[in-house]
Amino acid sequence: MVLEQYSFDNVALPELDTMRVEDHDTLPFGVVGFNADTLVQVYNATEARMSGLDPATVMGVPFFDAVAQCMNNFMVAQRFEDEPEIDDIVPYVLTLRMRPTRVRLRLLAAPGIARRYILIER
Amino acid sequence: MSDRSSEEELLEFLYACPVGLIECDSSGAIAMMNPHAMQHLLPLAGPRDPGNLFAALEHHAPELRSIVAAYAPATGRICDGHRIFVDLAARRRTTTPKVLACTLVKLGPDRLMATLSDISEQVAQEARLRQADTWFATLLDSVSHYAALTITPSGEIQSADACFARQTGHAAVDVIGRHLAEIGGSEPSGGDLRLDEQLLIAAREGWHLQEGWQQRADGERYWCQRLVVARSERGEPRASGFSVILRDVPRRGEAAEDMRRLLNHDHLTGAANRRHFGEVLKREQRHWRELRQSLSLIVLDLDHFKAVNDTHGHPVGDTLLRRVTDVCTALLPPCGIFARLGGEEFGVLLPRYDEDQAAALAEAMRAAIAGIAVDTPRGGLHVTASLGCATLNETDGSIDALLALADDRLYAAKHAGRNRVRSRETATA
Repeated sequence: MVLEQYSFDNVALPELDTMRVEDHDTLPFGVVGFNADTLVQVYNATEARMSGLDPATVMGVPFFDAVAQCMNNFMVAQRFEDEPEIDDIVPYVLTLRMRPTRVRLRLLAAPGIARRYILIER
Repeated sequence: MSDRSSEEELLEFLYACPVGLIECDSSGAIAMMNPHAMQHLLPLAGPRDPGNLFAALEHHAPELRSIVAAYAPATGRICDGHRIFVDLAARRRTTTPKVLACTLVKLGPDRLMATLSDISEQVAQEARLRQADTWFATLLDSVSHYAALTITPSGEIQSADACFARQTGHAAVDVIGRHLAEIGGSEPSGGDLRLDEQLLIAAREGWHLQEGWQQRADGERYWCQRLVVARSERGEPRASGFSVILRDVPRRGEAAEDMRRLLNHDHLTGAANRRHFGEVLKREQRHWRELRQSLSLIVLDLDHFKAVNDTHGHPVGDTLLRRVTDVCTALLPPCGIFARLGGEEFGVLLPRYDEDQAAALAEAMRAAIAGIAVDTPRGGLHVTASLGCATLNETDGSIDALLALADDRLYAAKHAGRNRVRSRETATA
């Protein structure tokens, strides 16, 4: 698969959701996928590098409680609860490796797709 | 386990930590913080820099900067569990207003450590306990602290017991036939209701309790709870009179008064703080619901204040904020509250004021602020303010809508060129 065509701004949710793990890992931006209970199911290599966490320890944990508490407010987590369909880019500040870091987040959710995604661009 | 690096484990620990941890320098610039801290800080920062602790909290806890600046020791705990009241009113009845606790420790001349945690539930629990405590204390108190009397529907005293004489210093025979409001009634302070207003509510709802200052025959003031209960003859819907209980509540000593001042007032300016402002707002909303007693709000924001801090430094900015507080509180009526709501934003609560009275006071405050001159090494410094007025009548009793409406008018005043007042009358002008 030629992955250069997938960018932070225009990769589509169905494409992301059907990609293989190896393909997620080649994307130049962070990708986190989680189910309706917010348990992490996708945590790609770029995101692991930025956060300093091993994907193996992140898989299956509740994302907004254990990994990304900084998004556990009305600006991100609440939106996934309130809106069945989202495709929005928001400027945000994360604490990657405990440093305040300005990023862009792309929030993705659609009614027919069980998994929700957050893309992170530094 | 062994193949995981200790750094990874440490990061995992900090990512998952349910308390906010922040390290910053003395200007507030954040070097390190964990996600939980950002969870709270980012929504509060609004358009300000979330990478600076003081800037991010400038709107909700402007006092933090001056508390840190005033702390002289080289190292040590600057404040412990300092409360930051995020919401002035609960957005929905079901949610508790959000309160954060902030602890600050000075590690060195230019190094601070802060923790942030959400204590909304504890604060709500404390309020419930305080209420229960008051009731238990009332039950356990000896009965002799209660003066009992009966009054007519218009407030004339029909009978008074021996305890009334002990508590007030007025013999029962001297007061029968006189109006209760004339006995020991000082001018209602703050948001206290007048006796006739209290009787109106008691007649409608069966009873009403309020507390405030009363005066004994020898002139001494004491803190008094006044319970009014409506009496009616069998089958008679209208009150035929009222029973009144007066309770002499032993008053907080000087230390407690100090504590109250600390809790209710802004550290830097001495104006009331957000917490106190929020409490009075809720009390006045209750009076509006019960009696349709008017309440006006003025919000006041200094014009181009950021430039003052940038050009002259925070100490000059702080002096200016204190001067603004001084001139505005001097204009305040006895029942009014002047509060610092954010960095350079103030709120004025005016019970029993209608929109015309509020607009007139706002104009007087505008003129007084424009007349302030602060000496600086660069010469005299002047400042102006923009003000917006609104009344609880206009928003049908909604606090959120009242704050929003006054804010809208404040911004209209800014857009119209600053240094002016906008009220309902001038909103569209």
